[in-house]
Amino acid sequence: MTNCIEIKGLVKKYKTFTLGPIGLTVPGGSILGLIGENGAGKSTLIKSMLGIVKPSGGSVTLLGADPDHAKEDIGIVLDDCFFSEYLRVKDVNSVLGRVYKGWDRGLFTDYLDKFGLSGAKNIKELSRGMRMKLSLAAALAHRPKLLLLDEATSGLDPVVREEILDEFLDFISDDDHAILISSHITSDLEKAADYIAYLHQGQLLMCDEKDRLLENYGKLVCARADLEQVDRGYIVTIRKGQYSTEALIRRRGDFQRLYPRLTVDPVTLDELMVFIVKGGKA
Amino acid sequence: MSGLILKDFLILRKTLRSYLLFVAVYSAVASSGFWSASFMGGFIIMMLAILPMNVFAYDKQAKWDTYGLALPVSRTKTVAARYLTVLVLTAVSVALSAALGAALSLLGRMEETFAEYLLTCTVMAVLALLTNAMMLPLLYKFGSERARMMLFGVMGTIVLVGVVVLAPLGGIEWLKSLELAEPAMEQVAAVPVIAAAAGLVLLALSFLLSRHFYGSKDI
Repeated sequence: MTNCIEIKGLVKKYKTFTLGPIGLTVPGGSILGLIGENGAGKSTLIKSMLGIVKPSGGSVTLLGADPDHAKEDIGIVLDDCFFSEYLRVKDVNSVLGRVYKGWDRGLFTDYLDKFGLSGAKNIKELSRGMRMKLSLAAALAHRPKLLLLDEATSGLDPVVREEILDEFLDFISDDDHAILISSHITSDLEKAADYIAYLHQGQLLMCDEKDRLLENYGKLVCARADLEQVDRGYIVTIRKGQYSTEALIRRRGDFQRLYPRLTVDPVTLDELMVFIVKGGKA
Repeated sequence: MSGLILKDFLILRKTLRSYLLFVAVYSAVASSGFWSASFMGGFIIMMLAILPMNVFAYDKQAKWDTYGLALPVSRTKTVAARYLTVLVLTAVSVALSAALGAALSLLGRMEETFAEYLLTCTVMAVLALLTNAMMLPLLYKFGSERARMMLFGVMGTIVLVGVVVLAPLGGIEWLKSLELAEPAMEQVAAVPVIAAAAGLVLLALSFLLSRHFYGSKDI
């Protein structure tokens, strides 16, 4: 299995924000979910990978090539529909048909049918969900090998999100394909992602297999006195409430064997993010 | 690259349709002799000349640049596509003006000669190219809103200098006193060729500047 994404030491510096250095790889046949709070650098990372913003340092290899040479095989859905409201849905077929060498006009029409989109409609008449479906049809109609999706499911109702996630899972059934998807909706990533990368203030705090990540961490809820007895090496962050204390625990299995009296619950990705951003040091 | 040019024209489709209506009305007015055919021809050309600036505004509204740079089209080709849009629009507007002028001439509704009319159209086409040659780098560097303000600023300054400074100082009288010699027919015939060549050279230089600005821009 080859890597579809290889990022080494990627840095993007702005006056008030620095992304990176970021290093991550995404193997073929997998989905990497990129999580992080607003302003963490998720969009900047995706834009840097595509050369939309010029990285200050590091290297990006997509599908074994320089990003500029890989774009024919990359499908993109960004956090909005970027087609002018003055265009009709079927115009996208004419425009992108002349942009991508591998564009399949029939496949694009098939996706429109599948998503219930009429080619004759003006884009300004489409709801946000329909626009995102149009973006997805445009991202898939040249038969890409890699999908880069920035908040592609945000603002969509659960039914549409489910349909789109099914489409991603179908796409990923090919071992040569991979998806990087950034999302605030971590429940979607818990369903679909194989790997999770967590960006916080421009830094990559975690990047691991999703199952291993969720198995490794746990949420301990106990009295302060109990927490003080716990080996600090297990505690990542602490959140102190009026009546109880919560702690994010690493090596959950070992911890439970060592402290069978204390209850440790599995964490969700949302909880993991909140603990890391809001929690205090152990 | 042809996809990007097509996109520009599809975005302008509605505007172009309404412009055709204007052209029909202006042609009718020109044929009635209310204003000269040269005015009509020049107006059509300048009307189409400002359309590429509108495309920048539409692209900004749709945030197209972010998406466009993710497509397998280099920044140089993206800029080249916009300049080709300018050239195609200018060529279409000149062809349209020439066709209408020919029709008016054949109907005997033109005061000036057809050669004079074509000369006016050529001068206006060169002015259209110059306007775009000046504006496009500003649009790539500063974006549509600030670039438009700058255009208004430049135009305003020219008018202000002319009206407030040159006219009171006797500039117009000075121009009249030059008593320029009547040009020979060959010289007049060379004007369109030289002017068009100069317009294209300036547009090429403008392209290099735009490519430089867009090439180093973070979207």
